[in-house]
Amino acid sequence: MGITIKETQKRLRDKETTPEEVVANFLSLIKERNEEMNVFLDVFQDTVQEMKKKDSSLPLYGAVFGIKDNILIKGKRCTAGSKILENYNASFDATVIEKIKEKGGVFIGKTNMDEFAMGSSTENSAFGPTRNPYDLERVPGGSSGGSAVAVSVGMCNIALGSDTGGSIRQPAAFCGVVGFKPTYGAISRSGVISMASSFDQVGVLANIVEDAKLVFDSIRGKDERDSVTVDFNGGSVETKKKDKIVVGVPKEYFIEGISSEVKESIEEALSRIKGEEIELVDISLPHTEYALPVYEIIMASEISSNLARYDGIRYGKEDTESVMKSIEDLYMKNRGKGLGKEAKRRVVLGTYTLSSGYYDAYYIKAQKVRALIIDDFRKAFQRVDAIITPTTPTLPFKIGEKIEDPLTMHLSDIFTVTASISGLPAISIPYVKKNGLPVGVQLIGDRFKEELLFNIAEKFEKIWQT
Amino acid sequence: MISKKEVKKLAFLGRVELTDEELESVPKKLEAILKYVQKLSEVDTEKTEPFFHFSETSNVFREDLSNKEKNGMKEEVKKIKEHKNNYLKVKSIWG
Repeated sequence: MGITIKETQKRLRDKETTPEEVVANFLSLIKERNEEMNVFLDVFQDTVQEMKKKDSSLPLYGAVFGIKDNILIKGKRCTAGSKILENYNASFDATVIEKIKEKGGVFIGKTNMDEFAMGSSTENSAFGPTRNPYDLERVPGGSSGGSAVAVSVGMCNIALGSDTGGSIRQPAAFCGVVGFKPTYGAISRSGVISMASSFDQVGVLANIVEDAKLVFDSIRGKDERDSVTVDFNGGSVETKKKDKIVVGVPKEYFIEGISSEVKESIEEALSRIKGEEIELVDISLPHTEYALPVYEIIMASEISSNLARYDGIRYGKEDTESVMKSIEDLYMKNRGKGLGKEAKRRVVLGTYTLSSGYYDAYYIKAQKVRALIIDDFRKAFQRVDAIITPTTPTLPFKIGEKIEDPLTMHLSDIFTVTASISGLPAISIPYVKKNGLPVGVQLIGDRFKEELLFNIAEKFEKIWQT
Repeated sequence: MISKKEVKKLAFLGRVELTDEELESVPKKLEAILKYVQKLSEVDTEKTEPFFHFSETSNVFREDLSNKEKNGMKEEVKKIKEHKNNYLKVKSIWG
């Protein structure tokens, strides 16, 4: 259903279409289906004019982007799915936006998301849930749910998302598109609203691996406005063995609790790639079972610190009814009304895990186990070129099914969270549809080996498509 | 067991006012999560250094120059909901 960048670019170059027609087609689909699926929070009217200003030889010429609403575009509203930012207009471009503009891309609108990217279903948005295009009663995954649906149904060519514990890969799997998260430090986060800064990364939701790679190559690189970024050229494409790709299959990811549909699909996917060129080896990542508890603690701690800046004074929800007794009272009331349930719950949890009496027992303990999880991967990548896993343990679930139970909800991130903890690049590739619903397969690469990861992903994508 | 009183105190430290309904539900949810993360105590971390950074990141310094031409203060103040004479207007506080 989606339309690739490659396709649009070719048609523009061959004069089979015009910028007006390209944009009008996307806009008419948005008009037709946005109300029912709640994909875009804002739709822009200046997309055609912007495209006509661009030089047609630029690498992203013709590409129409949806942008997750936690990424700043100058002069456009940016809510992060929260009431506390509902009237905030961005005063500068995020570095990734600047780069897309320079390389010829244009934007069609801002996509819905869980508030401040906290969630796995896009049900936590202050502006209502987004729906899965394959079954409107089900969630699209999250937190980049709007971006995943927009690409899946063809409301834009491609979309940016952000991934903290799986927020690009998990919705990509649920909506049948490609979802890519880079190595920590590969893409600048300047102008991206922070959730948990030791995990947060910007990434891409695309129809095909090739499009994801094209955008990654256009937006990566060092940025003095994000001190963790590094300069690199995409990394070496050399494999461990000559003329062979060695892919690790971690036994800890084939656990009880994985649904039969996902299990069958992944086994079938594995049997189809196995061959002369691709060697599958069993590996072990022994600390996998501790990944979610580690993530839970560190993520909440970082959130409680990052969200401190929203006071409701300069923009956003302000409590105009109550009488304020003190400055603390003003902060508490503004934030109490402006932040959603899930955000407040995580601020309270993070305040607890960072408090002086519990800091060592929770935060430091979690950072120690995190070091062990990182070491598991370091050892594995001495033997293998990539690691293959299911992206999610189940098919997309029903709206409302998990919203009241944060622990069950977080289980849907169980296979994606390890790459976030370890800062590794990872990509979810759509495999098949079971009972009409998509299944995703995840490939995890070694640090700063994106080029190799994309090569392998394209190879597998080709095998699975035929 | 985390008490309602403790949650109230944490909410004050985190500067978020909880509704009555949240004051009932948050202690239970917190309790469940803290019980769940107890799993980490199984792991022997006696000889493990905690993780802090992925790479040797260092501070990025720049000259302390104002950036007036790029984003003037007036521009910024204009974005604020209520402003007057280049100042932002806030609710009066009586304490």
